[in-house]
Amino acid sequence: MAGSDEVNLIESKTVVPLNTWVLISNFKLAYNLLRRPDGTFNRHLAEFLDRKVPANANPVDGVFSFDVIIDRQTNLLSRVYRPAYATPPSVIDLQNPVDGEIVPVIVFFHGGSFAHSSANSAIYDTLCRRLVGLCGCVVISVNYRRAPENRYPCAYDDGWAALNWVNSSSWLKSKKDSKVHIFLAGDSSGGNIVHHVAVRAVESGIDVLGNILLNPMFGGTERTESEKRLDGKYFVTVRDRDWYWKAFLPEGEDREHPACSPFGPRSKSLEGLNFPKSLVVVAGLDLIQDWQLKYAEGLKKACQEVKLLYLEQATIGFYLLPNNNHFHNVMDEIAAFVNAECQ
Amino acid sequence: MKRDLHQFQGPPQSRLSNHVSSSSSSLPVSKDKMMMVKEEEDGGNMDDELLAVLGYKVRSSEMAEVALKLEQLETMMGNVQEDGLSQFATDTVHYNPSELCTWLDSMLSELNPSSDPILPSPEINNSFLTGASDYDLKVIPGNAIYRRSNQFAIDSSSSSSSNQAVNNQNKRLKSCSSPDSMITTNSTTPQIGTTVTTTATTTTAAAESTRAVILVDSQENGVRLVHALMACAEAIQNNNLTIAEALVKQIGFLAVSQAGAMRKVATYFAEALARRIYRLSPPQNQIDHSISDTLQMHFYETCPYLKFAHFTANQAILEAFEGKKRVHVIDFSMNQGLQWPALMQALAVREGGPPIFRLTGIGPPAADNSDHLHEVGCKLAQFAEAIHVEFEYRGFVANSLADLDASMLELRPSETEAVAVNSVFELHKLLGRPGGIEKVLSVVKQVKPVIFTVVEQESNHNGPVFLDRFTESLHYYSTLFDSLEGAPNSQDKVMSEVYLGKQICNLVACEGPDRVERHETLSQWGNRFGSSGFAPALIGSDTFKLASMLLAHNNGGQGYRVEENNGCLMLGWHTRPLITTSAWKLSAAH
Repeated sequence: MAGSDEVNLIESKTVVPLNTWVLISNFKLAYNLLRRPDGTFNRHLAEFLDRKVPANANPVDGVFSFDVIIDRQTNLLSRVYRPAYATPPSVIDLQNPVDGEIVPVIVFFHGGSFAHSSANSAIYDTLCRRLVGLCGCVVISVNYRRAPENRYPCAYDDGWAALNWVNSSSWLKSKKDSKVHIFLAGDSSGGNIVHHVAVRAVESGIDVLGNILLNPMFGGTERTESEKRLDGKYFVTVRDRDWYWKAFLPEGEDREHPACSPFGPRSKSLEGLNFPKSLVVVAGLDLIQDWQLKYAEGLKKACQEVKLLYLEQATIGFYLLPNNNHFHNVMDEIAAFVNAECQ
Repeated sequence: MKRDLHQFQGPPQSRLSNHVSSSSSSLPVSKDKMMMVKEEEDGGNMDDELLAVLGYKVRSSEMAEVALKLEQLETMMGNVQEDGLSQFATDTVHYNPSELCTWLDSMLSELNPSSDPILPSPEINNSFLTGASDYDLKVIPGNAIYRRSNQFAIDSSSSSSSNQAVNNQNKRLKSCSSPDSMITTNSTTPQIGTTVTTTATTTTAAAESTRAVILVDSQENGVRLVHALMACAEAIQNNNLTIAEALVKQIGFLAVSQAGAMRKVATYFAEALARRIYRLSPPQNQIDHSISDTLQMHFYETCPYLKFAHFTANQAILEAFEGKKRVHVIDFSMNQGLQWPALMQALAVREGGPPIFRLTGIGPPAADNSDHLHEVGCKLAQFAEAIHVEFEYRGFVANSLADLDASMLELRPSETEAVAVNSVFELHKLLGRPGGIEKVLSVVKQVKPVIFTVVEQESNHNGPVFLDRFTESLHYYSTLFDSLEGAPNSQDKVMSEVYLGKQICNLVACEGPDRVERHETLSQWGNRFGSSGFAPALIGSDTFKLASMLLAHNNGGQGYRVEENNGCLMLGWHTRPLITTSAWKLSAAH
């Protein structure tokens, strides 16, 4: 109907603050321009439009950052965020050993449905800075390779490489046990990467203390109830989700692929594995919530520790601006989750 | 406990940063609060702080209007066929995405062509000002070689005699322009090391103090090397020359133990520090311009920075010259004229045919008395002939751009000839000379260019504190050298490193008017241009795309990245922008 789109637009405007609505709508429309029907992506325009910020070794609001090239072959770069030192840091002190009995290190994977954004995108630089301030931790944001130019498993490989680098960085070791206390965190596609990197970690004997998945990107061939009900209503459409999976998954694969559907028929069971505890945050107005809830269910069934945060009136991207209660609630939960072992 | 200090510093809202608005955005921002964000000229209309942090400038007062435009845009996009949308995206040129409102406006008008086109600003009334020069040293122009009315080849009958005349002039030129006879209005005693004992971080709010660092080498020795370099610089800053001397020797040993970029960078910085400690005069930068030119050519070949600079500046010039039948480019950075064949080529094949192309090349005198500007002009003339572009050339020799006057440039009425002024890595050299940049900018304004293209290093190497300059430049050149490592080993590469090494030496070892490598950031230049009567001429997504494609093509998609920033383009190594191309026009008031 002609009127229903209008109703949809107005609906989404009532559930988020106006500046959030502007921000996410702007992304939505810009992203619509970038996806081509033939599966290719307008990368040049994407990079032109993306608002980026440089790292800053001068502390701002108690946090400073610097970039590290982890792997020159793949141009893998990560941005490191640290709490500022008691005295203004000299640049030679960037990799001074972390100061504390237990210092959590969060390896962060930004969102963007595997195709958009970078570690130096302003939205993610800001988010990571907030995480440092709130959790008193170090955050390492991984600039993983993106689809469609780099399909599965590139993003996971990059995540794995970053995890190894973090795990073997002596300056990140907590004083208590001379080990790096690693948490994995990510939103949207980043949440998906968290899961798959954690699986690899467990299989290889690297200790990950916890997974944080914010609106993680999962899917399947079936059209779930939430997808049908919420299609196009809150910034996201089923069609665009399909596009991004097609761009990420190997050619010819469908959404039953284990990357997309970790508890689907083609996936390995997690039962018996020493999988990290998980904090799964689901936005009640996210159309893929049924897949996210299935994910949390799947963890439970495999006897893995999982805490599910279901935020009824939250949309995608609620965590990008600190102007709503969901943001503060989730940040508090993340802080508690990461600092649990310090009690 | 130290950790508690980091962890929790008060309730969530206030902890988060100055940018948090404690109430929802529907409430107007209190006018009493002076925010620390970039100010709009109209003090009462503040940008939404939360969006500003994310890179989008939207006034709080226009948020609802922007939302409406987004809705309109969505509706219009919905009406376009799927293929059409990505085609539209490709065909449309986008500008300055941070200014959300104007970006949306342009998208809306692109999708709805029936709306009124933006009218061009009215012709500026010309009256050529011939201000008296503040400086005793006058620019001595070279012969005007190519007459407009003639064909575009050299007038061979007068060449031999004109060469003689040129040689005579050059001799005169040299004697007038040697530093001994140069009279400066202000002489500052060079200061080797200051006695300021402030900490490393500056507290000036004027320029943003962002320190973008990429760690390319985390090895033990690399860290010790940087440590020693910094300690040495700090010792010099505090006038502890004995300690500095000991450290500089240590650096020599440490540097040798390194590999790759770090060794080279450390070696150059160490040499510069040593020169500063021992008060050795630096290599004769000022006079060896022919060597500088040669080195710059190697730099041009080895890595993409100069090519990017030329390409992006040329794109802006090309755009500004659209529809003009006679054009005149004034190049402050003539060197070997590498920038111009490509522009001439593009003009030759443009729709409507090429304009008549006049080029004025400005450069410093050559050490060996040769009129290298003339030679460069000849080569360009030959090229112009080959591609059938009517060409006129004039070379000017000047020790400093500040010695130029508009009256020397033989400007023609702007109705008949469109002028572009171009400067690649030259303007910063004026900052050590009081009144220098102001003079040049005022001359540029008198020229009334349709476009003023500027390329500069993207870093602040001109702060008042030596240690800060040292730190900034150490990181800047480390990144730059790292980017060169990928290039195959060759004579070009070695010479490129020498080229950069000379900059390092000048920056670290010199002071006062001798220190010419006074790089500043885009925001610093932007402030200066803005308050001098220039407005940005935005560079768009089409140039961005072409530049990115050229980079990928020439450098195999290594770590180079192009970034858009406030209508300007930056080329960087990974996440660190290193050079910026910006374009400017006279602002409406002028």
